Amino acid sequence: MEKISGGEAVFAAACSTCHQPNGVGVRGAVPPLNDPAFMEPAVLTAVILRGVEGPIRVGRETFDGAMPGFAGQLTDQDIANVASYVRRTWGGADAGVDPGAVARARAQAAGAGPWRGGRDLTRVSPALLPQPAWSGPAPLPVDGAVLALINEGRGEALACSSCHGPQGQGGDPIPRLAGLPADYIAAQLDAFAAGRRRNDQMSGVARALGPTERRALADYYSRLAAPSTATPSLDGDRALGERLALRGDWSRDIPACFACHGPSGFGGGPRLPALAAQHPGYTAAQLSAWASGQRTGDPGGLMGEVAGRLSEQDRRAIADYLAGLPSSPATVPRNRR
Amino acid sequence: MSDPSETPRERTVPASPPSRGLIRDLLLAAAGGLAVLILGLLAVSLGWIDGRRERTSPSADAARPVAYFQPPPPSAIPDGPDGDAIRRGEALFMNTPANAAAFTGNSLSCVNCHLDGGRRANASPMWSAWGLYPMFRAKNGRINTMEDRIMGCFTFSMNAQASSSGGPPPAGHDVYRDLQAYMHFLATAAPSGVEMPGGGYPKVAQPAQGFDPVRGARVFAANCALCHGEDGQGRVNANGQPVFPPLWGPQSYNWGAGMARINTAAAFIKTNMPLGQTGRLSDQEAWDVAAFINSHERPKDPRQTGSVEDNARRNHTGGKTYYGQVVNGRLLGGGVR
Repeated sequence: MEKISGGEAVFAAACSTCHQPNGVGVRGAVPPLNDPAFMEPAVLTAVILRGVEGPIRVGRETFDGAMPGFAGQLTDQDIANVASYVRRTWGGADAGVDPGAVARARAQAAGAGPWRGGRDLTRVSPALLPQPAWSGPAPLPVDGAVLALINEGRGEALACSSCHGPQGQGGDPIPRLAGLPADYIAAQLDAFAAGRRRNDQMSGVARALGPTERRALADYYSRLAAPSTATPSLDGDRALGERLALRGDWSRDIPACFACHGPSGFGGGPRLPALAAQHPGYTAAQLSAWASGQRTGDPGGLMGEVAGRLSEQDRRAIADYLAGLPSSPATVPRNRR
Repeated sequence: MSDPSETPRERTVPASPPSRGLIRDLLLAAAGGLAVLILGLLAVSLGWIDGRRERTSPSADAARPVAYFQPPPPSAIPDGPDGDAIRRGEALFMNTPANAAAFTGNSLSCVNCHLDGGRRANASPMWSAWGLYPMFRAKNGRINTMEDRIMGCFTFSMNAQASSSGGPPPAGHDVYRDLQAYMHFLATAAPSGVEMPGGGYPKVAQPAQGFDPVRGARVFAANCALCHGEDGQGRVNANGQPVFPPLWGPQSYNWGAGMARINTAAAFIKTNMPLGQTGRLSDQEAWDVAAFINSHERPKDPRQTGSVEDNARRNHTGGKTYYGQVVNGRLLGGGVR
């Protein structure tokens, strides 16, 4: 974990793409940071450490989305700093949050997943009531044959988990698959099988799978949520990576990564995969492959063109920045309109 | 949204003698352009880029000036009350529905049409617009202050009639003060009262084959649907946070917006879409896809008091539009909610 200085900087780097630089959130999607009940140090700390999935009432509005936990990305001091910043800036509070209290909350939260909606959070503070109940997603039926492919493999089709990990979390330079869009994963497997995307190992695997199996595996991995195991390791300039991801550099015709891959790099659509928490060696290698034309097949050639405008330094900066983000929390893309 | 058709602009000649800064910018741009040219030639000769990407029409290239005004960077926003207003204006510009919640009836923000926070040349940048007001506008037949102009954006592009207040911010509202503070900042040291290179959206003459929504549907499917969706309704992420704006239907701009006119949309698209691929579409494709997008129903024109036909005669004679016309057996302009 890399220490980020003051609370304002942590907020800009970790919180602002969803909650916005001025903390107002996004209408109908991301809560504002001005509800006094949520500004209590214990509540703020609990939410930042573990994240929240499911319905939550903030002010007079109910939001039904997902916030990732930052326990793996932020130190106790970072969390104390950003919680203090939020309290003082929008919560009308004078007192900050103590890093020691964050450390104790972290020890309690060890291994726990996201809070299940606002109702679960009332265990931290009854002042949050009333809160909507969490019903949770219906359990996913998983075909035994699919699990067998993942865990045991079949001949040339090596077990997916042997490289991509038991939860699809990957391990540099093997990519994380958990939570990527099903259409995107299926398209990659099809491309490996047809030779349109080149990787000796994956070509053999994909060719040994039938089209239905490829699709079933894509569906399976798209629904997995796994904490990040990525670590920045390319000595990239993460401040530069953050700038390129959030704002791009129009003087070089480089759009922001998140303009297409979604705020916080959580994905932008069925063919625009999440980038957050991807392993940096993989990300940098793919950007190089796009730039050189070794990887193709992007609709309209967009990714190849944009990658071609990035320097080698830019690629390392972006890859390391993305590796430092928490993983995309929600795995099934929803389109509410 | 800017409205180039109202004020015919010649964009090929800088409006004033080049200053020292401009000469420096020209040199830098020339060097950058040379590098891009060499890379581009290399890419084509190596087969990295297929011929399709090289179809930029010569007229569009010739019309593109080599250097543009550079607005100050975000780091130049001062401290104190001025800076606070500029930052509030920037927040309004980037995330309009949350920061002007009572006055926006859809999910669009200023930055959807004025790219890169109103900084991007040829995407109707604020540094150019600022010095042109007050200005006579045929749209309402009177002198418009910048506040009047922004009120028009809320009324038409943000479809304020569907907002909780039922209309745009009233005259004198702080929303206008803060947005103007931001524009004034972006226009720091820009000339006043002259057309600047890179202002507005560069006009694209109607091509020989006119415009055709049937051809446009094919252009849309091949170039736009990846991001804006097959149904043109844009995309939101798992939290419901907008990633790509909707192009028609109840969450898009209404029939009174400049962008609802085919010529204006074609101008925007030709230079700015797909994001990061300026020049990918031919003039013909830009016009056709603009016709396709604007042949769909959208919220009604708030100026309509009588019939659509009556309003078409009063308010829709200035540009190319399907408002009040029958397309596929349906009279367009009735509105959707």
